[in-house]
Amino acid sequence: MKRFQLGEFEEIVLLTVGVLHGNAYGVTIKDEIEQRLNREVTVGSLQVTLRRLESKGFLKSTPGDSNESRRGRPKLFFEVTAYGKKALDYCKESRDELWNALPQLVLNLK
Amino acid sequence: MKSAEPPRFILRFLEWFCKPEYHADIEGDLLEIYDRRAADQGRTRANLLLCKDVLFLFRPGIIRSANIHQPIPSNGMIKNYFMMGWRNLWKNKLYSTLNVLGLTFGMVCFLLIGLYVYDELNFDSQHSKAESIYRVITHEKSPNNEATTVAAAGYMVAEECKQTFPNVEQATRMQRIGRANLVDPENPVNVQEAITVADEYLLQVFDFPLLEGDQRTALKEPNSIVITEDLAMRIFGRTDVINKNLQFSHMDNPVKITAILKNHPQNSSFTFTSVLSESTRYSNKEFMREARSDWASQNYTVYALLKPDANADSVSNEITRLVHANASLEPGTKLSYSLQPLKDVHLKSDGIIDGARNSNVEPVPQGNPIYVTLFSFTAILVLLIAGINYSNLTTARASSRLKEIGVRKVVGAVRSNLIGQFLVESFITMVIAFGVAVLIVAVLLPSFNEFVNKKFSLFSSVGLGFWAAAAGLIIAMGLLSGGYVALLLSYFKPVSLLKGQVLRSGSDFSVRKALVVLQFTISTVMIIGTIVLFRQVRFLNESNLGFNKDLMVVIDVNVVKARSNFDWVKKEMSKIAAVEQVSVTSHVPGDWKTLVRVKLKKQGGGHQLHTAYVIGADKDFLATYGIKLLKGRNFPNENDTSAILINEAAARILGITHGSNEAVEIPQSARGSSFAPVYDDINASFKPRVVGIVKDFHFQSLRAKIEPLIIAYHDNPIYPIDYYSVKIQPQNIQATLGKLKAVMVANEEREPFEYHFLDEQLARFYMEDQRSQTILGWVALASVVIACLGLFGLATYSAQQRLKEIGVRKVLGANLLSIMALLSKDFVKLVLIACCFGFPVAWFGANRWLQEYAYHIDVEWWIFALAGVITTGIALLTVSYQAIKAALMTPVKTLKLE
Repeated sequence: MKRFQLGEFEEIVLLTVGVLHGNAYGVTIKDEIEQRLNREVTVGSLQVTLRRLESKGFLKSTPGDSNESRRGRPKLFFEVTAYGKKALDYCKESRDELWNALPQLVLNLK
Repeated sequence: MKSAEPPRFILRFLEWFCKPEYHADIEGDLLEIYDRRAADQGRTRANLLLCKDVLFLFRPGIIRSANIHQPIPSNGMIKNYFMMGWRNLWKNKLYSTLNVLGLTFGMVCFLLIGLYVYDELNFDSQHSKAESIYRVITHEKSPNNEATTVAAAGYMVAEECKQTFPNVEQATRMQRIGRANLVDPENPVNVQEAITVADEYLLQVFDFPLLEGDQRTALKEPNSIVITEDLAMRIFGRTDVINKNLQFSHMDNPVKITAILKNHPQNSSFTFTSVLSESTRYSNKEFMREARSDWASQNYTVYALLKPDANADSVSNEITRLVHANASLEPGTKLSYSLQPLKDVHLKSDGIIDGARNSNVEPVPQGNPIYVTLFSFTAILVLLIAGINYSNLTTARASSRLKEIGVRKVVGAVRSNLIGQFLVESFITMVIAFGVAVLIVAVLLPSFNEFVNKKFSLFSSVGLGFWAAAAGLIIAMGLLSGGYVALLLSYFKPVSLLKGQVLRSGSDFSVRKALVVLQFTISTVMIIGTIVLFRQVRFLNESNLGFNKDLMVVIDVNVVKARSNFDWVKKEMSKIAAVEQVSVTSHVPGDWKTLVRVKLKKQGGGHQLHTAYVIGADKDFLATYGIKLLKGRNFPNENDTSAILINEAAARILGITHGSNEAVEIPQSARGSSFAPVYDDINASFKPRVVGIVKDFHFQSLRAKIEPLIIAYHDNPIYPIDYYSVKIQPQNIQATLGKLKAVMVANEEREPFEYHFLDEQLARFYMEDQRSQTILGWVALASVVIACLGLFGLATYSAQQRLKEIGVRKVLGANLLSIMALLSKDFVKLVLIACCFGFPVAWFGANRWLQEYAYHIDVEWWIFALAGVITTGIALLTVSYQAIKAALMTPVKTLKLE
């Protein structure tokens, strides 16, 4: 099976784009992550990650219409590609596998 | 609701660095967030956060690559630039020639003057340790507050400072003891030479290159002598004369040649041709006794070689303390020492007396820093004019190229492409001009050398540094003048270019006008400077000096018998038909050697001592030189050593009005810088009587005021006779000289017969001025020519621009003159404005320079008028050619063109 390289933040962004299904562009993605995960996201890191995921083929983008609310600037909508879905699956499976292999004893520690 | 505006600069910044394909939506995101924040948190905070966001966006994934805007690979374009540049030069031959000519003129002037200035600034740089070599300067203030600054010090200063002070690595002393006859015993021909005595360290401190011999030992042994190739050639006719013997006329023992020096380079402050070892004198007990106690005298030129990191000021303070600790000074005398860097000796010795030499040895020739500065300025100004010229012509010509630029822009050239193209074009022009300039300099160099009395050769006499600097300056000039054109022409929008609408922009034209004004201002200043210099030099050479200098042969007294037997010599000379008068003197008016000075006072006239110069002369002096006797009488016929004549200036300070045997006292005299008693007995004075008063005459250069002068009888205790002055008739001068020589040789067969003409000798005072005048004259000419080339180009352009207007005017009945006036008016106006700027500058500069002379011309109004008329006239001539051409054009032709 092919191995997918996915960083932690990349995974979060990819998932969020999936969550926002159809309404995922810069601002909404940022808001969603900030609300759900309670962490600060800068436009810079988000944009870099989005572009990187796009160049890896996990995301694809379609420009939206420009409208008044953004002073005439267009939105760029993202959605998860099939390849991106595969990457997410791989990610989850590999985590699950690790979880299952974890001895009970370790989880009971504390 | 009107939303808050984000700061524009930060969005501009984003636009600048962000990849263009990302930019629009990222900016959209930022603005959306910004608006929300502005509503929630207020505008200031929103601004701040926006800045932060943009800064965080400045990272590799987002920043665009640097060359994204370079659609055409530049290396391919460079070839194209060259080709286009070359074609453009060929297409407009007139303009190209004007451009190249102007630049060439400027560069030739710049290179020639540059050679001269470089040489002056690099005096004495041949010595590898030149940076650490210093000349010891004595500053003395006598009890009656007379300050002297002499480049000399005592024997023990050199001896002691290298042993006592850790910062002094080595020290050497030398003494120019006077002129003597040097003879090759095998082939006795007298050669009169100035003899230098120096200790053995001279050749170690300095790097005088030796042809033969060892620099460590050459001056060690007694009776050793080091001579230059040139002197060897004169005495022996060859240079392989090491270990041969020479005989001095005044010494018993022969001296051995231990080394042959290469001739001094032209930029050396050292001119000696022979150096006798100081150890020759060590066997003389009297000399050694005096030397051992000699701390504060000014008998030696001392050079100190300091350690590389030593501080010259602290060393000179130590020397001052050392001398004060050891010397027994006359009470009230103040003495201090300073160290002058070797590289300052040539240009920065103004006010420092060249000490430690016999008064019959010529002082070291000094450079004039004023002229060096003046020349540097003119060289740069001329280059500036040439650069301006280039910019002016090229921008003026640009109208014909606007379409080309427009098409280039439309096809896809960005600004940097166009700038590159114009820069390459200007560099092609510069390089051609530079090549031609170097060729012209090579051709002109021999006559230039003769003229400035130097020996430049194009590549060997100046180092790589000079050429690097020249090339650098020319590149800078190319960048500046080409850059202005490039920036200006690449600025226009393509649409307006293709419509042919530009170059109406007023700013461009006024810049060009300002440049023309600047050019002509410089030219005017130079023309005025040349006229003033020319008139001053003529004034110096032709003004009445108060004595007759023409047809005066001055013969040096070089052998003992020529002095003792002068009565006979005079009588024999008078017998020659062409000789009008003969006189013997100690010095001649306008003498280039140091004149003797004395301290004197009127007997019974208080205690204050005055200083006066002394010339010893016989009774024929006044008649020979045509000096007017105002009061009293001439010297009596019989020997009367106590009679003196004084000039008006001396009469004034002494308060003598009649010249009827008033007695004066002369206790002290000075041959060099320091005064010493006239007689061995300190309390005795020379007590002569004033028998007459003569009219003031210029016995020194016209730079100095006429000082008090005493004409003592030739048989005086202060200075013996040293010259015969022979007034001859203008016919057949060579034959007369031959007869004079015959008399001298008949008197003493070893007579070398050295003579010169007094007027030529006097002209040497002003040689530097004469030289500057000529250089400045040529540079002024060049600058006017260059400025006119520029004007010619501009006139051509403006005539072309107005062809149609002229056609219409002619059809409506305008005549030739009115059209010429129309075209010339603008340019003449510019030249007149330039005159207004140039006049005050020139007036100020000329007056400053003339202050150097005690006797000088006045800067009169007509000089300015003349300069104004010259510049305007030349400008008018230049412009009128084009104006006439345009005015003579058939109107049908110009109007038909569309």
